[in-house]
Amino acid sequence: MGNYTSSILKTSRIRPDGIEKVTGKLSYLTDLQIQGMLYGKVLRSQYPHAKILNISVEKAEQLPGVKAVITSKDVPGLNGFGLIFPDQPVFCDSVVRYVGDAIAAVAAITPEIAEKALHLIEVDYEPLPVIDDPEKALDPSSIPLHPNGNLLHQASYVNGNVHESFPHCDVVVEETYQLPRQMHAYMETEGGLFIPEEDGLSVYAGTQHGYKDRFQLSRILDLPETEIRVVSSPMGGSFGGKDELNIQPYGALLALKTGCPVKIHQSRRESVCAGIKKHPMKITVKTGATKEGKLLAHQVRILADTGAYATLGPAVLDFAVEHAVGPYVIPNVETHGFCLFTNNGVAGEFRGFGGNQITFALEGQIDRLADQLGICPLEMRKRNLRKPTDCGPVGQEIAPTNGDELVLKEIAHSPLLKTEKAHKQDSWKKVGTGVALTMHGGGLGFGRLDPAGGKIALNQDGKIQIMFGFEEVGQGLLAVIETLTTKAIGCSTADLEIVIGDTDKAPHSGSSTASRGTSMVWHSLERLKGPFIEKLVTQASAISDYPKEQLVLGENGVWLCENSEEKLVVTYKQLAEEKTVSVETQFDFPTTPNAIPGGHFLYSFAAVAVKVEVNLVTGHVKVIDIDQAVAAGPVVNPIGYLGQIEGGTIMALGYTLLEEAQMEEGRYVTNNFDSYLIPGIQDIPASMHVRAIEDLWEGDSYGPRGVGEIGTIALAPAIARAIYEATGHWVTKLPVSRDEILQSRERI
Amino acid sequence: MMKKQTIQQEHVFEQQLINISLCVNGQEQTIEVEATKRLVDILREDLQLTGTKISCEIGRCGACSVMMDKKLVNACLIRAYQVNGKEIMTIEALSQNGLHPIQNAFLEEGGFQCGYCTPGMVMAVKALLDEHPAPDEEQILQALSGNLCRCTGYSGIIRSILKMK
Repeated sequence: MGNYTSSILKTSRIRPDGIEKVTGKLSYLTDLQIQGMLYGKVLRSQYPHAKILNISVEKAEQLPGVKAVITSKDVPGLNGFGLIFPDQPVFCDSVVRYVGDAIAAVAAITPEIAEKALHLIEVDYEPLPVIDDPEKALDPSSIPLHPNGNLLHQASYVNGNVHESFPHCDVVVEETYQLPRQMHAYMETEGGLFIPEEDGLSVYAGTQHGYKDRFQLSRILDLPETEIRVVSSPMGGSFGGKDELNIQPYGALLALKTGCPVKIHQSRRESVCAGIKKHPMKITVKTGATKEGKLLAHQVRILADTGAYATLGPAVLDFAVEHAVGPYVIPNVETHGFCLFTNNGVAGEFRGFGGNQITFALEGQIDRLADQLGICPLEMRKRNLRKPTDCGPVGQEIAPTNGDELVLKEIAHSPLLKTEKAHKQDSWKKVGTGVALTMHGGGLGFGRLDPAGGKIALNQDGKIQIMFGFEEVGQGLLAVIETLTTKAIGCSTADLEIVIGDTDKAPHSGSSTASRGTSMVWHSLERLKGPFIEKLVTQASAISDYPKEQLVLGENGVWLCENSEEKLVVTYKQLAEEKTVSVETQFDFPTTPNAIPGGHFLYSFAAVAVKVEVNLVTGHVKVIDIDQAVAAGPVVNPIGYLGQIEGGTIMALGYTLLEEAQMEEGRYVTNNFDSYLIPGIQDIPASMHVRAIEDLWEGDSYGPRGVGEIGTIALAPAIARAIYEATGHWVTKLPVSRDEILQSRERI
Repeated sequence: MMKKQTIQQEHVFEQQLINISLCVNGQEQTIEVEATKRLVDILREDLQLTGTKISCEIGRCGACSVMMDKKLVNACLIRAYQVNGKEIMTIEALSQNGLHPIQNAFLEEGGFQCGYCTPGMVMAVKALLDEHPAPDEEQILQALSGNLCRCTGYSGIIRSILKMK
């Protein structure tokens, strides 16, 4: 067992946060405790959709040990939040639109008293009809959930004319794909500590963009941003799920109201109920090709269930529309996407950002066409692949790349695809293989505020501080920063002090999302290293009288490098005693110059080959081998890169075969890990292999791309193709249903 | 239609305090706690041992795995009255004399990312290796089937175990 190998696992550098993590010494923000702190709890709605007629908190207030009960009346600023539009009330007072809607919050001296106080809050509701399906939301007769109706966002891309082209196609495939509501299932649920300070408030709570939380909290609390400090790192996982505000408004308001530190740590049930999920999507696609396998027309309709509030719903839809044709050249395309409000949970940011859903549909179409035309699936993809200098998927200018071609070529050599057909099988177990390809944009895209930056300084203690506003969610950003900084500057890891995730100490770097962290650290250092080194060697030259051209930064200080002679000239500590130095940079993530909302410029690629075994007696699909090739530029930290791809892949395996946050009439049926099943160790394949393609297109100056998302995209369609090979049944709905597999056998 | 909805009352009983003695990581502890206080809360709140994590609270994820009398248990399912006189070992004990080989293996093979499941996972691996110093595939899968990890996809964890063989 345990054949988990990679060509990239050459070195095993120990992560800067590693020792603290394996010993349990790392304090997560939900581990923080402070003398005199209170415990906060939030009252969530009893109904997925209802009018609130009255809220009565008196009984709760009178409970001994309760220090504050707050409602919308206690919000000094804007009673709303949301990364794009602040349409989600901090506290609902007239209507609730989903079961996670907050109505009140309590601070008490123990969690038990806080919990009891929640039960004493009386709310009179008048239930309203529940919109639990986006098709229902589209119906003009449906009750509008927001002032502008139920259509949150619409996005389209049209090129050529699909209607005129379909008659010219030799084969046309039409299918509807249904993608589930996946839960991030980070092991650490939302929480943190909120401490009132003399000059404002300190917030210790996980998020993927501390400065954005500070901005949103400033609006809610009516406090200047400078009076709020947000410490947002480390976190026990996020995967996009903690980017939007969650418990922060409640902790902050309770701390300011009581004048005491307040801790909130959501239970898993609370987290499931209130937290965002991946967008369920229904994608109807009609695709046509010539008998030579050339794609001619692709018509796509995306219906996304965004739940009760906007958060990043519009951006996720834009991403799905953009990636509808992936890396293929299709002359006639018509994509229309609709993102609809419903009374189902809230859907928002999730690793993959709409790419998972749309790629399942796209790759499913390619496989069905290839099958009907009798063309090898790999060959079908090759025949339609974009050229390195072609435009991006929505006709926009992008950084030239042949990553798609390289990963496809690499995966074609996968040994798992060459399995001898005579493989001895039990008659009730069938084996199949599948391949899929994906192209995934990095950064937030055109027209979005996407600033990046960093700062480097020699501080008074002689430490080189490298500072970013990013967060460590587990992805390994600290190791990336350490690796890239020591390489760029020349100092050793012992000389370095990394500062992240603290709005009082680190500069604006933008969000730790969209596979942008690694990329932006590299770009920052490209800008910081020259001026910083120049300042230090100039100073060292003035002290030592050596010409600065012969001086370089090294371990412990500035070194003389003359001919073969190398010696330490002056230590960082000595330099710092003379003068501290700092250099800062601010810039934007590179985007396409074409005015396409959310349009990307930098892409990464992955191709996945998978082998599955389908048990025809139980309907169980077991993934037995996964091989994948990733093209995302140079590998910065091999063990981190591998971990992102392997971990992302298994998260995708869960998406394909196990996971669905089921809702019935707007209520979660799955409330915890007993009914919401994420992959356990028994679910993973016995063999996984990751190949990294580090080459970039000639002249590409954009460095390493992030790999946080690329490993999560292409597995699902590859598994669907493998199931088809094994059983003759095309799966259109995830997670794959055992019943469906069994029923499909009965039909044959 | 109007519905008055006071959430169904769950009684929060006044808890009787009991004295318990237990040995945690080699140290005798006598504490006064509610009889039904969970072991995970005793460790984290009364003894400040926050290496043991809270995640699902229903015994499904293993983030709170500790050893009780040398057997792996979920500390969210054990109550104060059940630990009286018991010997508890938590993640904090493993590195009392430098890093444990399991911890070194996790560091070198990518056995963790966010680290939140890691203390429980390391304890589960310890329980496995205590029983089977050279575990086979089935023993590894069995031993770790109660511990969820959302970051690594388990491959790094398995690599770590195989490295120690």
